[in-house]
Amino acid sequence: MGTMRVQPSRLGSLGSRPATGTWHTFDLQLAFYALALTVVGLLMAYTSSGGAPLEAGSIFTRGLMWLAIAIVMFTVAASIDYRWLKTLAWPVYLVNLGLLVLTLIVGSGVGGVSRWVSIGPLQFQFSELAKILMAVVLANYLASRQGKMKSLATTVGAFLLVMPALALVLIQPDLGTSLVFGAILFGSLFLSGAGLRWLLIAAAGVVAMVPIAWTYVLVDYQKRRLISFLDPAADPQNSGYQLIQSQIAVGSGGLFGKGLTNGSQTQLDYLPVSATDFVGATLAEELGFVGGVVLLLLFAALLWRILVVGWRSRDPFGLAFAAGMASMLLFQVMVNLGMVLGIMPVTGIPLPFVTHGGASLTSYAVGLGILQSIAMRQGRPAW
Amino acid sequence: MKGASFDEPARPARLWPRFVVFALIIALVVATLGLRLFTLQIVSGGYYAGLARENRIRLQPLRAPRGIIFDRAGRRLVNNVATFAVKARPADLPFSQRPAVIERLATLLGMSAVDITEAFDRAAANRFELANVARGVPEEVALIIREEHLELPGIEVVVEPQRQYPYGDLVAHVLGFTGAVTPDDLASFGSLGYLNDDTIGKQGVEATFEEALRGEYGVEQVEVDARGEEIRQLRTLQPAQPGDSLELTIDVDVQRDAETALRWAMDRVGLERGVFMAMNPQTGEILAMVSLPAYDNNAFAEGISASEYQELLNEPGGPLRNHAIVDHAPPGSTYKLVTGAGGLQDGILTDKTILQTRPYLSIGPYKYWDWNRQGFGPLNIYDGFGHSSGTFFFQIAGELGIDRLAYWASQFGFGERTGIDLPGEVRGVLPTNDWKMRLMNEPIYPGEVYQAGIGQGYDSFPPIQVLNAYAALANGGKLLKPQIVRRILGPDGEVVDEVEPELIHELAVDDDVLRIMRKAARRVVTIRQTYNLVDLPIVVAGKTGTAEFGVRDDKGRLPFHSWFAGFVPKDPWKRDSDPNGVEAVSRTDSELAILAFAYDSRTTGNAATEIAKYFLQMHYDLDVDLRQDWILERDNFYGQ
Repeated sequence: MGTMRVQPSRLGSLGSRPATGTWHTFDLQLAFYALALTVVGLLMAYTSSGGAPLEAGSIFTRGLMWLAIAIVMFTVAASIDYRWLKTLAWPVYLVNLGLLVLTLIVGSGVGGVSRWVSIGPLQFQFSELAKILMAVVLANYLASRQGKMKSLATTVGAFLLVMPALALVLIQPDLGTSLVFGAILFGSLFLSGAGLRWLLIAAAGVVAMVPIAWTYVLVDYQKRRLISFLDPAADPQNSGYQLIQSQIAVGSGGLFGKGLTNGSQTQLDYLPVSATDFVGATLAEELGFVGGVVLLLLFAALLWRILVVGWRSRDPFGLAFAAGMASMLLFQVMVNLGMVLGIMPVTGIPLPFVTHGGASLTSYAVGLGILQSIAMRQGRPAW
Repeated sequence: MKGASFDEPARPARLWPRFVVFALIIALVVATLGLRLFTLQIVSGGYYAGLARENRIRLQPLRAPRGIIFDRAGRRLVNNVATFAVKARPADLPFSQRPAVIERLATLLGMSAVDITEAFDRAAANRFELANVARGVPEEVALIIREEHLELPGIEVVVEPQRQYPYGDLVAHVLGFTGAVTPDDLASFGSLGYLNDDTIGKQGVEATFEEALRGEYGVEQVEVDARGEEIRQLRTLQPAQPGDSLELTIDVDVQRDAETALRWAMDRVGLERGVFMAMNPQTGEILAMVSLPAYDNNAFAEGISASEYQELLNEPGGPLRNHAIVDHAPPGSTYKLVTGAGGLQDGILTDKTILQTRPYLSIGPYKYWDWNRQGFGPLNIYDGFGHSSGTFFFQIAGELGIDRLAYWASQFGFGERTGIDLPGEVRGVLPTNDWKMRLMNEPIYPGEVYQAGIGQGYDSFPPIQVLNAYAALANGGKLLKPQIVRRILGPDGEVVDEVEPELIHELAVDDDVLRIMRKAARRVVTIRQTYNLVDLPIVVAGKTGTAEFGVRDDKGRLPFHSWFAGFVPKDPWKRDSDPNGVEAVSRTDSELAILAFAYDSRTTGNAATEIAKYFLQMHYDLDVDLRQDWILERDNFYGQ
């Protein structure tokens, strides 16, 4: 297997290149947009801390802790030459699947759902990290398929690579995250230059799968949530309730919002999970249209920067990985905010950087760190 | 061999059009989201702001069912029954309509407009919360009020649980009652989640175990209609935790015997007040606690009117007061237990010592008479106690002095609250030199020491202390906290807390001394100081007391209370091997101590003894009836 290729020259070439000099090419914009989004997330954590944000264990202080951890992980990931990931791709893939299996076995969650694994006092959602690892593995595979990119085998291979992880997440059951895997798959293939024909056929296949999945795979509550956005009033007590309250929250925010910690919908607990999946509604209610637009622009800028890193990469791995990251981020933003704004079904996907939760934030930090590593090592090719 | 060609990754085939398409997708998504945001917040912002303002969803407390109270045999002493209550939410009632609404409610509920206005004003602190107007409303009235809701804005009819006490007034003072929270209650307990229209334990164990009984209220989200009435429950944010239940130490059978005996004598004589208690001296468990007159707890549960309440307050017998613990009276000769035990322990006498008793002892010009005005001749401690000779105990008290006497009294628990888990317990008065100096700026006089030695003068204690002293005598010297609750049970009947016997202290009195005093208490009975009590087929030991109080009548006589405090050995039956029951009372295995107190009895004989006798006859199911009517005739054998 080409992907198993060991790179014996790497150690030597590390010494021959101005390794420290790579920091000159550090992509400041990439880091800045991400940090700005994280600060927005901290603001939301502050407002969601129920009036005691500075107490130990509050959402805000935990958010600060996770930010510190994320910065460390970003820096470490950026410092390490990303090309090591190619060497480690297969172990990474196995670790990835292992984590997901572990989650299924020992995971805990709400209502028969196993998503979290407790490590000491911390609960970690491994599927968040799995998304990044999947992007790495996939990028490595696509890099190895240079020249054969348009072949059917490449697309089929990519699907075979992603499917086990996707299936493991789907049976947790976590429909949202499994769809993110799909987005990574399609985005990476598309921007890496896979045959459009095959991609279209695959997309058609996925569409054809929908009725089957609806009947055999999806659990009742997932189905109810999925369709409730079409008519929230049909089930106002359960799944529709969140959507109604979310739209009231967003709509009542107006141009400038009600001010931080002043959102009546979110602070008075009309809106459930206002700190996690529906954090966008909290933001829109308290910071208004202005805050919402700033948020959207920050996401757009970050996505743009990720694409730029991919475009500039002289390494197909870099391009494919950036494509995967961009697809993942775009998909999450679209689905989460679409849900908050009532134009997408409720799938339980967190809003990257803003939703409170250490797994998502640190996983994105690792992903962006790898992107940064890619960006920093394109300036002058040592080979 | 390291070669660049081996190492160099293939250059990526960058596809411009695809990047452009991807960028367009990003732009499209962001634009769509932004547009939707614009529609919701700017175009329809006013509409949603309105929805948020008058949100139809209300957070509402979920009341927890209050815990049940059982007797020790598992009989329910209180139930929760569903009743209709009429409540007001002042915020929903326009001022202009207030008079009309109040007038209509007054007609429907049969209440005065003043009472209703008062109920409205009570809620003034929080106009958005419900306030009680009337509880236990008949169903037909509740339905009418519901139908007229358009004319009665701000008035709501709710179904709420009410306490119902199946035994009426039998266990009145122990159970107590719940009542509407007052502004004072809210000030002290508001943080615990008490609501404007809430109830709280006011008396008895309903008050002392309020926290356990109440449980924890939850919170639910309900959708309300324009009238503010609940349409449907949306979700429970925090489920209510039902209150814990209490299993009392009271045995309803024993309680009923006690009540029957006490009420019989009181009716017979025409007594104003009386107390009867039974206790297990080994554990401190109160088996019966009757204070008469009593009240019907249900009157409070149904919401007592101010005038009814005032009536109860003004009744001379003080039906609202648990005379067993909240009122004190001179203990009379029952107190000779303290004087005798103290004298023995301090070596002033032994059980061999003979003291001469006389018609009276003199201090200066004052004469201190024995109760029979003749004296009993030379007596040892057994007979001195048995005959209840005043001059016998004057001498011991004189030797002890007031402070030593007070020390031994406090050993037996006198002058200190027992700590029983019922509200309002008093300490009574235990005189010492210090106490009198502080109060009257003079020391105790020798004559007052004599008085104290026979439980007269300043000495005054609640009946529970007298009972507890005799329980300590019966169990061999352990002063225990009287217990009223045995176990606390969770909502599913699981035991949350088991109440263990609680030692206040061990008496600093030798076992020998206590044994002498128990035998002396048996002598009281065998010497027929208690008339024919000795003829019961069971072994009873105890002490009578006749305690003067108040002001002299035209013949110079003082009114008096009658006491009887005593105990029965674990094996109550008389045995041929122990005809006088001396062996039986030498043991410390008694499981029944009793106390009878007849307030202001003024009877020919000791009324309390008759009450105790009747109780014992019923309690042990004896087929003899030794009650003697002549004892209960109104007279004044004392102080003539």
